[in-house]
Amino acid sequence: MKMTNPADWKGILIIGEINNCRVQPVSLELIGKARELKAGCPAVGEVAAVLIGSGLSGSLAEIEVTGVDEVILVDHADCALFHNDLYAAILKQIIDTRKPSVVLFPATARYQDLASILGIRADTGVAAHCVDIRINEQAEILAVVPAFGGKVLGDILCPAHRPQMATAKPGIFRQGEPVPGHKPKRSLFDASTIIADTMKKTRLLALESSVCAVPEGIPLEKATVVVCGGWGMGSKENWALLGDLANLLGGAVGCTRPPIDEGWMPDESYMIGTSGKVIRPKVYIGVAVSGSSHHVCGMKDSDLIISINNDPKAPIFEVSDIRIVGDAKQTLKGLSDKIREIRSAK
Amino acid sequence: MQFFQFTEEQEMLRKAVREFVDAEVAPKAKEWDENDVCPVELWPLMGELGLCGVFVPEEYGGAGLGHTERAIVLEEISRHSAGLGIALMTHHLGTAAILYYGNEEQKKKYLPDLCSGKKVGGLSVTEPGGGSDFMGQKSTGELKDAKWVLNGRKCFITNSHIADVDVWTVITGQDEKGRPVMTAFIIDGDAEGHTPGRKEHKLGLRGSVTGDVICNNVVVGPEQMLQKLGAGAKIAMTTIQEVGRAGMSAICVGILRGCIEEAVKFSNERILYGKPLNKLQAIQFMIAENRVEYEAAKLLTYRATGMKDAGLPCATEFAIAKYYSTEASVRCAKRTMDSMGGYGIVNEYPVGRFLRDGLASIPSGGTSQVQLLITAGATIAGK
Amino acid sequence: MGLSIAVCIKPVPDPKHYDKIKIDPVKKTVVREGISTILNPCDKHALEAALQLRGSDGAVTVITMAPPNAEETLREALAMGADAAILLTDRAFAGADTWATSYTLASGLKKAGPFDIIFTGTESADGATTQVPAQLAEWMDWPHLWNAVTVEQTGEQTLKVRTKAENEWSDYQVTLPCLLAMSRESNKPRLTSLMGVMKAKKKPLTVWCRPDLDVDDAALGMKGSPTQPGAIFEPEMGRKGILISGDVDEIAAQLVEKLRTAGLAIETGDVCAPGGGNV
Repeated sequence: MKMTNPADWKGILIIGEINNCRVQPVSLELIGKARELKAGCPAVGEVAAVLIGSGLSGSLAEIEVTGVDEVILVDHADCALFHNDLYAAILKQIIDTRKPSVVLFPATARYQDLASILGIRADTGVAAHCVDIRINEQAEILAVVPAFGGKVLGDILCPAHRPQMATAKPGIFRQGEPVPGHKPKRSLFDASTIIADTMKKTRLLALESSVCAVPEGIPLEKATVVVCGGWGMGSKENWALLGDLANLLGGAVGCTRPPIDEGWMPDESYMIGTSGKVIRPKVYIGVAVSGSSHHVCGMKDSDLIISINNDPKAPIFEVSDIRIVGDAKQTLKGLSDKIREIRSAK
Repeated sequence: MQFFQFTEEQEMLRKAVREFVDAEVAPKAKEWDENDVCPVELWPLMGELGLCGVFVPEEYGGAGLGHTERAIVLEEISRHSAGLGIALMTHHLGTAAILYYGNEEQKKKYLPDLCSGKKVGGLSVTEPGGGSDFMGQKSTGELKDAKWVLNGRKCFITNSHIADVDVWTVITGQDEKGRPVMTAFIIDGDAEGHTPGRKEHKLGLRGSVTGDVICNNVVVGPEQMLQKLGAGAKIAMTTIQEVGRAGMSAICVGILRGCIEEAVKFSNERILYGKPLNKLQAIQFMIAENRVEYEAAKLLTYRATGMKDAGLPCATEFAIAKYYSTEASVRCAKRTMDSMGGYGIVNEYPVGRFLRDGLASIPSGGTSQVQLLITAGATIAGK
Repeated sequence: MGLSIAVCIKPVPDPKHYDKIKIDPVKKTVVREGISTILNPCDKHALEAALQLRGSDGAVTVITMAPPNAEETLREALAMGADAAILLTDRAFAGADTWATSYTLASGLKKAGPFDIIFTGTESADGATTQVPAQLAEWMDWPHLWNAVTVEQTGEQTLKVRTKAENEWSDYQVTLPCLLAMSRESNKPRLTSLMGVMKAKKKPLTVWCRPDLDVDDAALGMKGSPTQPGAIFEPEMGRKGILISGDVDEIAAQLVEKLRTAGLAIETGDVCAPGGGNV
């Protein structure tokens, strides 16, 4: 394994994620973090973002106002469907050419796969789903990663290899303040040779792709109010009370893993936690949720945390602003009834 | 004498059964108790996992293990649902009667389906006229045109409404001294005239169905007779003594373990005077007494199953184990309820069910007084 | 000739008890006393997929790189139905990050192979990096897919695989040999039977150490890992909470006040600036 000379590597490269021609918010969050790192250590170099896909010209407005220094476009019809080997080959060449000191990827299903592949192809380390990144004067990054479901955090360094790579989940970092009128440098990367070479290998062929049934209501990560239920709700009948309150407050319903196992919620897209979504709503109301670390990591940065649980020792009370020790069903009903009472009195 | 320890395989077996219990039994135990239903639908899965024919040789479709392993299975299941425990253990009774006393044809005909869980087994012995008074039963078997016609009513029979293979004892005549001659027959559950009767509404062991089974001129061929004429008493007695009481013993070891685990869990979570409940000596003594009783029941049970697996006579040891385990489960369940205060009587917690299941276990497989009579008899005779 | 299938597994501390994990303040290491080790839950989906694809004439080999006591976990996998097990264990492998781990696993798989398919889980319960499947495939120079939900054999050497991303599914055709990281949604792992447990002790379990493998020492363990661990600590998450009590009605009234202060207009269900008043 070759060692690299860190001095030869400069710049922060963000691998942006595009879905249906829309730049995903996580890409903007990573750019926000990268610009923060650059502000802390200008020596690290310029912040560039690369987008791979097809028909990208319409997607650029959002990314340009982030204040990113350069946008690299890989716009090709054969890049329309995600293909891990192809995308990785393209990114490898970009990395080899530009030699960025740091490369950041979204920790989404597809893009963390790319980060893993590039860890081997670029002979370097990848800090997985980090919750924080810091930089020192020598432009060395320190990534903080969770283990044991978030109960333990550890620092990860990549002292002797470049680029230093890390992945981060949507919602971990914040988008920066927009810079209206900002015009970053635009580069076009011609991937046609790489595409031709990869297509010759028929080992993996992308056939088709489709969006799953869109969940009803406000997406969890966008809701200002999230009402989250846990296993203690006890039954599907009781579960309906959560939706009732969420509707009254204009919010969304989320859950921990057991309600999915019980069939009260359809799938993991409603799950809040280290294996699910990280949310930051104005108000989080946890109902019959015990508050294990891996769930708390997914909601701990909510503005106001209210918890209802009949167990006074439930760990969730340690991270709550407001604690109610009581019966979930009754408390929920009481609150919903009270809100309806106030509205009908108007 | 070696000190008591399970083998590595037995620990692995226990772990495998526990996985099944955590997935399929624990989440539903409360519901089965509340609705008084026996989860017959679990039989094929239990068959696949080897739980229905634990001690049956592999050549007949069983798991080829012994009675110690069978006790482990019943203990693990009964930690959460003693009701399912007694239903399965009764299935084992019918299976054991055929395995140990059947001929090759009978074994080949019935054991594979009993082991695979395709069929549910039963053993019908007790009657209104003969429970503790075993020989006082009145069901009859008459030979007519080279076939046997069976008539009678059995009561307090577990699996009464679900058994597909039912082993019955009937009086087929009298010996030269005028004493009743008892014979055992295998009845196919759907045989004409063989029906369940009333269903009992029990206070405990409600994951199982118990009730009457009636034979109204049920005709069976001589190939359905187990072993030979007059062997019925021995077959029934031995099966109940060594497989039935063994089962009840193991079931109550499961209940005992449940009592301890629930008591420890509750006393860790409940805060009183600013500290967990189990910082109080009164509670500590309750937990300790439960522990002592659990260890004793466990050792008595597995000592007896070990003897059976070694081929040693063990009727007395099973009587001792069954008497102790069942009575202890009631004492410990009450103790656990006491340690939980008001919460002990709230049905959100399983402890009330443990108490009821323990109470119902006591008269199953012979009352405690019968166990004491057996123990006294052996002790006085110097055995 | 049936398929020759390998499954990578990992023994992990039981995730149900992660809340009990502490950090030793003196040694600065993770203390996981009293927490039993189990087969990584995600890996069971991989093993189940392998057992389903094996059919009547294939063979499933489970492999792990772990401390010596991983034999117990391998026996569990054999009890579940795998045919053979391999344990890669050596002090030289310890402290490996995903780069060095996948390198070592690849070496063991190449020695034990050739295989037609390698199945893995998507992530381990303890580290949860999700990186080993892709990196292992890279060392094998095989195509791979992460988070597969369905696998269908469409030809002698081809599979049709559906993977799931956050809200999209994608179908691929992949040629053997390949590596598939199976999703939690892909199947329901079978329970272990008593017969399986008894058969497990007779199935072959091979142990390979450093000398048995064709590997470069510089690429092993902590020395061979491009990422290096720094300090470990428990996250700061506490908040000073206030307790609201009373009967159902009183609690509801107090909650409504708190929500108002947080900026929710209770009367209309809108969100406004903290303290009330629409912006």
